[in-house]
Amino acid sequence: MSYAIGDALPPFTIESVSPEAMKQWAVFLADPNPIHLDVEVVKAKGLGDRVINQGPINVAYMMNMLMRAFPGGRIKTMDSRFLDNVYGSDRAVVTGKVAAIDGNVVTCEFTLDVDGRGTVNSGTAIVEI
Amino acid sequence: MSDLDDLPPAPDAAGTSLDGTKVFVITAEENAALCRSTGIEPATDGTAHPIYYYIATQVAMGKTVAGVCEACEFDVEDGPMMGSSGVRFDAPLKVGESYKVTGEILSLVRKRSRKLGVMDVLTYRLRLHLLDGTRVLETDNVWVLPRKEFAA
Repeated sequence: MSYAIGDALPPFTIESVSPEAMKQWAVFLADPNPIHLDVEVVKAKGLGDRVINQGPINVAYMMNMLMRAFPGGRIKTMDSRFLDNVYGSDRAVVTGKVAAIDGNVVTCEFTLDVDGRGTVNSGTAIVEI
Repeated sequence: MSDLDDLPPAPDAAGTSLDGTKVFVITAEENAALCRSTGIEPATDGTAHPIYYYIATQVAMGKTVAGVCEACEFDVEDGPMMGSSGVRFDAPLKVGESYKVTGEILSLVRKRSRKLGVMDVLTYRLRLHLLDGTRVLETDNVWVLPRKEFAA
């Protein structure tokens, strides 16, 4: 498969961010922070009215977009910025494009957006294809 | 004169060791559950989801998140926030492999922001190694620690 600078990468979509997945990730991360588990805690802290996705899950969504876009490729480096929260039941979409190509190494730029609130994460990555 | 001159300096946390003693193993069962929780199927070539760069280093480093905050004289209950995370892989992560972590706090810098007021920006670096010492990846994480005690 060939790529060109500026090519859009196929989007990766989570139709509804799952509070059940947040419970699983509390175990994966060994971090039972209640803002990811208990909506009443989120409300009490004034952070909203839905549980908040753990930040690394959002990074995983962006990695999934890259892995789908470059089957068999390897992420060599990746930088992610956390701009806002992703909440339970949000529809989240990762979109990206090819920013540079050097032989079998592709540099990509991408964002994670949620319906109604725009970009919540952004990043760049170098993928060896 | 800096607008921070009226504030005490950030605690001197740079250099704090985050070397871990735990061995972290990515199990096939957990990797599969993690992949599916993010909307994909696990790879069939023995590689683990690359997000384990974050999970493995965070879980097996030498301090808990609360402990890292404590080294910065910050109460974890005050709500540390992830600012950014970067990773450089030397090799793919593998299911069934055993890993250990080394690392350290790189810096803690006091800043003032319009949105958050006074905050300390924490940067720490973690490395994941095979048990023979071979480095598999290096990651830098930046956390924002809002200093509510300096709110106007």
